[in-house]
Amino acid sequence: MTMIVDGYVTLGDGLTRDALLRQMDAAGVARAVIAPEDRELAVYNEEGNQRLLAAAGRAGGRFIPACAATPWRGEEAIASLDRAVRGGCRLLVFAPAVQGFMMTDDRVAPLLHRAGELDLTVYVHTGPHSMGAPTQAVLAAQRHPGTRLILGHCGSTDHAWDIGAVARCHLADNLFLETSLARPWTVPQYLEAAGADRVIYASGAPRTDLAFELDRMRETLPVETHPGLYGDNLRRILGEAG
Amino acid sequence: MMIRIDSHTHWGRCWSERDGADPSNWLALAGKYGVSHSLVLPEHGLFNAGAIAAEHDLLERVCSRSQGAMVPCCTACIWEPVEALSEVRRCLSGGRFRGIKFHPWLQGCSVSVPAMDDMADLAAEFGVPLIFHDGTPPFSLPSQMALLAQRHPRTNVILGHAGLFEHYQEAAAAVRAADNVWACLCGPHLEGLRHLLDRCPLERLLWGTDSGFGLVDGLYYRVPLMDLLRLNDAQAEAIYQTNPIRVFGLHGVLA
Repeated sequence: MTMIVDGYVTLGDGLTRDALLRQMDAAGVARAVIAPEDRELAVYNEEGNQRLLAAAGRAGGRFIPACAATPWRGEEAIASLDRAVRGGCRLLVFAPAVQGFMMTDDRVAPLLHRAGELDLTVYVHTGPHSMGAPTQAVLAAQRHPGTRLILGHCGSTDHAWDIGAVARCHLADNLFLETSLARPWTVPQYLEAAGADRVIYASGAPRTDLAFELDRMRETLPVETHPGLYGDNLRRILGEAG
Repeated sequence: MMIRIDSHTHWGRCWSERDGADPSNWLALAGKYGVSHSLVLPEHGLFNAGAIAAEHDLLERVCSRSQGAMVPCCTACIWEPVEALSEVRRCLSGGRFRGIKFHPWLQGCSVSVPAMDDMADLAAEFGVPLIFHDGTPPFSLPSQMALLAQRHPRTNVILGHAGLFEHYQEAAAAVRAADNVWACLCGPHLEGLRHLLDRCPLERLLWGTDSGFGLVDGLYYRVPLMDLLRLNDAQAEAIYQTNPIRVFGLHGVLA
């Protein structure tokens, strides 16, 4: 039986640890990536990282903590990232539109390079127009082939049209697609183009409803026939499964 | 039967290719989800200006066979202002078309060009709203539409997507910036929908699904998503029924 993993949830923004666990229990979600709030992505990186690590430490292994490090802080950001990973953070989140950069900026390179050295997967929010183009993230992935990147939201909404070409022609080994905010009926074509081992399910809660998103996706793509989508792919990326 | 009006749909080419001008399948899908009436916007003409007039004729034929369940809207290529105004006037003069749709991003035109001001005046003359795709810079920002509305206080301006994922807060600000700006809850995620419901005057909120671009059934997501808002009876009646009837002037039009 597939262990369902929600690939991206923001812990905070009104969603408490206990409430998230209750929602996961009700929906049949075994584990979830927990990510910082926007203010923690933009400004309070260290505080957010410590908060998520503390929450994960009290969740019996059900939370997979992500961390934030803004490229604007230069060497300080590298040190902060190292601390977060030593503490147990498993992914680095970039939200370029929130943090104020583009994935093609030179200032991002040191963090991407360091993430590769740490074998840390980088989750990139894509979709916002100038600062969230999937194509920008693809160029960054090409420049850093040793660093895994997850293209969050599959460019939804308006950059979704880029994803077909990315999936068909530019999906290097270090690139993955994530489905939160993508409408369920669009995901089968991404699976077909990218391959079943390259797409990761996520709800994007609490901007969305965790159980509703899973229910609608399951109606489109049953868990039984898509174990990679619902957890195995992410677990493999995180080094937990073959 | 309760009236539930979908204020944002399209009759895509795929429907004509399969069903000709017969709306039976289209109506069956809407009916399956309790949608009783739909505002039907163009699709082909948004991509191909040369197809606009023919698509208008097709839309009229399709909607005329829907027993009043489908109400057409028209569009125009604003880069040819004289022809655009003439074609829209032709549609509106017949009385069946109840709105003018623009997708400035796809159609490659700014909301802020003088020709759009002329179109706003024409809309006011016929008492129909302008409906915009919104949420996409550089041509489709809610703030651009708010300023157009401020320049034309007699014209109702509908934000067809209420800002989508990134610009829903801007959409709420736009609705508050002018009494003639309306927001169609069609595109934002749940948090965005809640934000809009909390901050916008209820009497200027609509609901839509954007369905019809393809044959795929997206209503299985769009319809229950609204249930998560737990609208009270007054909110549901306003958003699904009374507001669209008012802004599109549907009194006596609907079956």
